[in-house]
Amino acid sequence: MDPDAVAKAFVEHYYSTFDTNRSTLSNLYQDSSMLTFEGQKIQGSTNIVAKLTSLPFQQCKHSITTVDCQPSGPSGGMLVFVSGNLQLAGEQHALKFSQMFHLMPTTQSSFYVLNDIFRLNYA
Amino acid sequence: MDPDALAKAFVEHYYSTFDTNRAGLANLYQESSMLTFEGQKIQGSQNIVNKLTSLPFQQCKHTITTVDCQPSGPAGGMLVLVSGNLQLSGEQHALKFSQMFHLMPTPQGSFYVYNHIFRLNYA
Repeated sequence: MDPDAVAKAFVEHYYSTFDTNRSTLSNLYQDSSMLTFEGQKIQGSTNIVAKLTSLPFQQCKHSITTVDCQPSGPSGGMLVFVSGNLQLAGEQHALKFSQMFHLMPTTQSSFYVLNDIFRLNYA
Repeated sequence: MDPDALAKAFVEHYYSTFDTNRAGLANLYQESSMLTFEGQKIQGSQNIVNKLTSLPFQQCKHTITTVDCQPSGPAGGMLVLVSGNLQLSGEQHALKFSQMFHLMPTPQGSFYVYNHIFRLNYA
């Protein structure tokens, strides 16, 4: 499958899961996975999902503006760089964000997130 | 060296080189390096430096707001996500940008940029 198509499919799957059923993001991370969320460092699927499901909003919607990807080297990984808007329920204005994923292949021909860095982009 | 300190040192070196001697960036890329600049894909040190030195401004200054880094896997690489402002000389308002680097170790104990993705963050 074309890398750009893989990246786009992953991003759509990630954010629709985030927006509808945050706890099932655990399938996309492993024990070695790392998340840096607004500067806070978290490791491992359980801790990462605990962080994401405890964020101070009930509902949210991600809208993606740009998706860029590149192969990350000999291990077959893929880097995905996303920018977009995050609308929280009840808030008047959407937040802008940038997010970087490093996807690694699984033995079942899928991908998991090894590295995840999230930053809001303030005006 | 502490990875966060390394990432910070690299970022400071990269942007001061960019802002004072763009052609000197050639030392930071190799033939295998990839840059995606506002969606345009470029490969190899020469092509990358050609792109960066041909950008339509004479002088610029990068001001860094955030730097996040994580180790990228068994090859010893490091992922760095930067956000900041880019002031072009003669322009009233600074541009906001996000940029992702994937640094790989060289045999001489240094790093080069293997992956590089740049995006402006529009309001």
